[in-house]
Amino acid sequence: MSLGERSFFVPFSTLANLFKKPETIAYPKEDLDVHGVKGPSLKYRGMHANDHDVCIGCGNCSTVCPTAAINMISTGVNDAELTGANAQRPTVDYGRCCFCAFCVDACPSGSLTMTREYIFTRASEKESPLEELIWKCDEFTLEPGSRWSENPGWQCHGEETWLDLERSHMEHMTPEKRVGSFIEFVLGFTKEEALREAARCIECGICTKTCPANMGIPEYIRGIYDNDLEESVRVMYETNPLPGICGRICTHKCESVCAISHKGEPVAIRWLKRYAIDALGPDKVAEIASSAKEMFSPSGKKVAIIGAGPAGLSAAYYLSTMGHGVTVFERMPKAGGTMRYGIPAYRLPDESIDNDVRAMAEMGVDFRMKTRVGTDVSFESLRKDYDAVLVAVGFPMGRSTRIENHDHPDTGLAILLLNQIRLGEEIPVHENIVIIGGGNVAMDIARSMARLQKVKYGKVSIILTCLEGEGEMPADNEEIEESIEEGIIINPGWAPKAIELDDDGKIKGLKCARCLRVFDENRRFNPKIDEDDLTFYPGTQVVEAIGQASDYTFLSEDDLAAMGHERGRFKVSDGMDSGLKGVFIAGDIVHGPDVIHAVADGHKAARSIDTLFNQG
Amino acid sequence: MSDNILARAGKMHGDKIECREKYKAQLEIKTHRDYVLNLLTWLKSERYVHLSFMSCIDWIEENEFELVWHVFSYESKNHILVKTRLNREKPWMHTAINIWPHVQPYEQEIHEMFGVYFPGNPDLSGLFLHNWLDLPPLRKDFIAKDYSLALYTTDALGLTPPFDDIDIVEITAEESRDGE
Amino acid sequence: MYLPDGYTTLDKISENDDYAVYDLFFGPNHPGMHGNFGYVLDMVGTEILRVRPNAGQLHRGFEKAMENKLWAQNLSLIPRVCVPDPDPNEVAYCQAVEAILGVEIPRRARYIRSIVLEMSRLGSFLMGMGGVGGALGHYSTMYLMMIDRDLILDLFEALTGGRVYHIYNIPGGVRRDIPDGWTDKLLELCDRLESKLPEWDRLLYENPVVQDRLGGLGYISAEEAMSSGITGPSLRACGVKADVRIDTPYAAYDEIEINSKLSEGGDALARAVQVRLDFEEAVNIIRRLVKQLPDGDYKLDLGNISKLRVPKGDAYSKVEASKGEFGYYVVSDGGLKPYRVSVRGPSMPAGMYLCHKHLRGMKIDDVAVWMASFAICPPDIDR
Repeated sequence: MSLGERSFFVPFSTLANLFKKPETIAYPKEDLDVHGVKGPSLKYRGMHANDHDVCIGCGNCSTVCPTAAINMISTGVNDAELTGANAQRPTVDYGRCCFCAFCVDACPSGSLTMTREYIFTRASEKESPLEELIWKCDEFTLEPGSRWSENPGWQCHGEETWLDLERSHMEHMTPEKRVGSFIEFVLGFTKEEALREAARCIECGICTKTCPANMGIPEYIRGIYDNDLEESVRVMYETNPLPGICGRICTHKCESVCAISHKGEPVAIRWLKRYAIDALGPDKVAEIASSAKEMFSPSGKKVAIIGAGPAGLSAAYYLSTMGHGVTVFERMPKAGGTMRYGIPAYRLPDESIDNDVRAMAEMGVDFRMKTRVGTDVSFESLRKDYDAVLVAVGFPMGRSTRIENHDHPDTGLAILLLNQIRLGEEIPVHENIVIIGGGNVAMDIARSMARLQKVKYGKVSIILTCLEGEGEMPADNEEIEESIEEGIIINPGWAPKAIELDDDGKIKGLKCARCLRVFDENRRFNPKIDEDDLTFYPGTQVVEAIGQASDYTFLSEDDLAAMGHERGRFKVSDGMDSGLKGVFIAGDIVHGPDVIHAVADGHKAARSIDTLFNQG
Repeated sequence: MSDNILARAGKMHGDKIECREKYKAQLEIKTHRDYVLNLLTWLKSERYVHLSFMSCIDWIEENEFELVWHVFSYESKNHILVKTRLNREKPWMHTAINIWPHVQPYEQEIHEMFGVYFPGNPDLSGLFLHNWLDLPPLRKDFIAKDYSLALYTTDALGLTPPFDDIDIVEITAEESRDGE
Repeated sequence: MYLPDGYTTLDKISENDDYAVYDLFFGPNHPGMHGNFGYVLDMVGTEILRVRPNAGQLHRGFEKAMENKLWAQNLSLIPRVCVPDPDPNEVAYCQAVEAILGVEIPRRARYIRSIVLEMSRLGSFLMGMGGVGGALGHYSTMYLMMIDRDLILDLFEALTGGRVYHIYNIPGGVRRDIPDGWTDKLLELCDRLESKLPEWDRLLYENPVVQDRLGGLGYISAEEAMSSGITGPSLRACGVKADVRIDTPYAAYDEIEINSKLSEGGDALARAVQVRLDFEEAVNIIRRLVKQLPDGDYKLDLGNISKLRVPKGDAYSKVEASKGEFGYYVVSDGGLKPYRVSVRGPSMPAGMYLCHKHLRGMKIDDVAVWMASFAICPPDIDR
């Protein structure tokens, strides 16, 4: 082809372009219109917005930011006062930000988003812009807030996130199989499952703050993830000398605030702890536990601890690592307290308790079993013979509803029955049982009775009723779910009125009235009951599981008064010391029944006892 | 489209090489430094005409460099990674420019980034780094952050910034919520 | 002679009675240079006597930086290795990681990756063809092509949230599913791009000036091209049927028909025509991909990606980019970060080796055209 072949008018065809719609746009008078809306696309990765009410300050955005553009700054609120959140918020340095939106995809609460805004301007104050650019680059650091949030762009919902929202699979026994025996039914993580679960943690540390014992949870999970179980267990022993027990039965307040729980299931912190202890083996764990003792030389001081429950054991361990001589007095034949004689074996097998206690015995803690303070040895003599006394007796007794016929021979108190089951004693098991109570103890006795029924009658027939309505029950959700799986019928929201007897004097069932509310406006226990709305649960045996009580018979009235006794519990200072000199109190009798609180109390008491000794 | 190259290589070179199939159509042959050129020449004669590129890895804990030649055959569609290890203290490797002339800039780059010496390569001058006096930067013992801190902090540059002038503007949560 | 501050004269290297040799820095400030790269040319008049490539002005130490970032974090860095054609980098890196992990990504994710790769190829070709036009002074062609490239970027924006750096692939798949109605828009765009081809032919390929300037420039034989590491359209322009998509199928290319046409001649004109042929085929490939796009997951569940741990091992993964074979050689020591990432860019053999042969004796006016015809993209040399 050559130029000569073309028509003479070819150059004029260019004129046609004059009447074409221009391809360019006159921004800002016009804007792009290709995405169905004016401006950038609905997924545009522009400036950030952060919903401060939803943000939990976990700092994961800062962790995943590839350009280190995100820094967490304090909001000025006291971090310890916030529950379930850290008092820090992200700032974005737009001089570094590359708008990759990894921070949005990794945000566990979903508060951080990106907007369709992409222009940020500010007025220049200096004559020379260069001068400002160099030394005032901090002004490009903004704290994302609600500014621009009315123009949302890149968002992250559910499955698009970088986080792993689903728990790693863990093998459980089937309900049919587990209800037939007291064998532990949660089988524990395999190594692969544990690694996958440990990888879900984003190491925000909100759990540490929430844990009563302030366990270094992100650190020990990191240890598991790095396949360094020894380090993991060492971290556990810094704050909790009963990790094998807590790895099974802890009330895991940490999991309720876990950052991942905002979008998915929380990290299985409790099971990971159990995995680390089980996988490392008791010998190695005991070695790590006792290695802390080598740091201190013996002090020559002696401490008596009353009660070998979690608080007592925790105090014993830490006092012993600090070089003090410890003697533990326990009325039962073996150490463990409620953990051994209250919690059923299918949740906490004896070996776990034995392993954790063994570590302490190897460190030289003197256990005096079957020694009841008050009868075998007097409280006064303890105060005289020892430099300090720690009272950690817990709640070994049951409480009764005191309704009509509550003292019938076919009724029972949950805690005592559990005690007998654990001691291997035969207890009466009827074919149809009604249980009163909605806490974990009620679930324990219900599920224990279910197992006994299954063995004796081949079927489960248990009705559990409690004051609290559905969703308000104090028991853990998984306990409730597992109970229902095992065939227990749960009827929440009923107040027991009377145990009805038939003509032969045998129990016929439980009469209940509808409970409208449990707590009044002031959050005080004050049930409101609709006396007209009645129901009847048939059964020939009734078990009451509405709470526990303590036994303070070894203390004199004066001592009780001096120690701050009030309605079955004690009021103590932060250092767990009572009004009596050298007497400390810890555990359930201070904070109510909770294993991890007890462990934390024991640690605190140990520290203040140590301080007392150091002061001379 | 397999050409049984591994079997034939094993037959041809015997115990001088160690080969395996890594992934589909991706093979690996490990050999001694002095045997690499023989192997590459043989591979080229086996129609592995495409030298994709060359890379180097610093295995600092084993005190070795690993050189990797990536060769590919347009006929068998196999990609072969030819690997050899060099002592990290005194790393040198015969140049391959007589087999593939375009390997020259790759060797030049590896010389610059790792300090591996290629006797026979006509130009081992600096390619990317200007006025470089430090360790070759892709070595594992070169820490980029330390280098930057030593070189570019205000102290190192001899600058005194007017830091007193700076009023750091902090947008508080309230302001931010008001949308200013 | 008056020179403002900061300007220097050409360095005179040598001189005799007949001529003088001057050192000309053909660098980033030259309008024909793509990016921050330079050739130091020894000139006699307008003829080149010797050439020294001058790299390093763009060197950002990507390979070192990647060793200090988490596996997933690297994806914000990787597209920057090649600005006009970023997705092959992301895909090659992700594929290498997936190979070491030993996982297979869902079928839909493979299709989406292929669509994104082809779109990226179209955008890059438009820039490349426009670049050839621009280097020859045909700026209208370049502007027209940039308009269409912008339309591709609009679709990228709707899919990935970003126009240039898409950061869309992650190990295990892609970050977001295709939004509703997006594929229809893509097909519309394909029709538009195809309808534009006659205009471009008229403007560029049938233009006698272009034909004269490109014809015979930078000739390379098939044998030499193969043995000097030339890949992609430049190699196909020598009549060699070589395409990573066909030779080592990745993503969804093993299920898709690719009818690459070959131009012949091995010179700059053949390379320019090859890009145009590949462009046409890429439009058809997108249509086939959209037609066969399966339902299913768009990513694989690899757990918490920011804590991805890749087992010990190494893998090389390559992708047919618009300029040739883009490859990532990834080495893992079993940690949270790569032990070594080595990038194979398609520009190195031509830009650093062939330049010595080809530029010698060439007129200075042809350097930019020669570079555009080999699609030399400095970021993948200076990575």
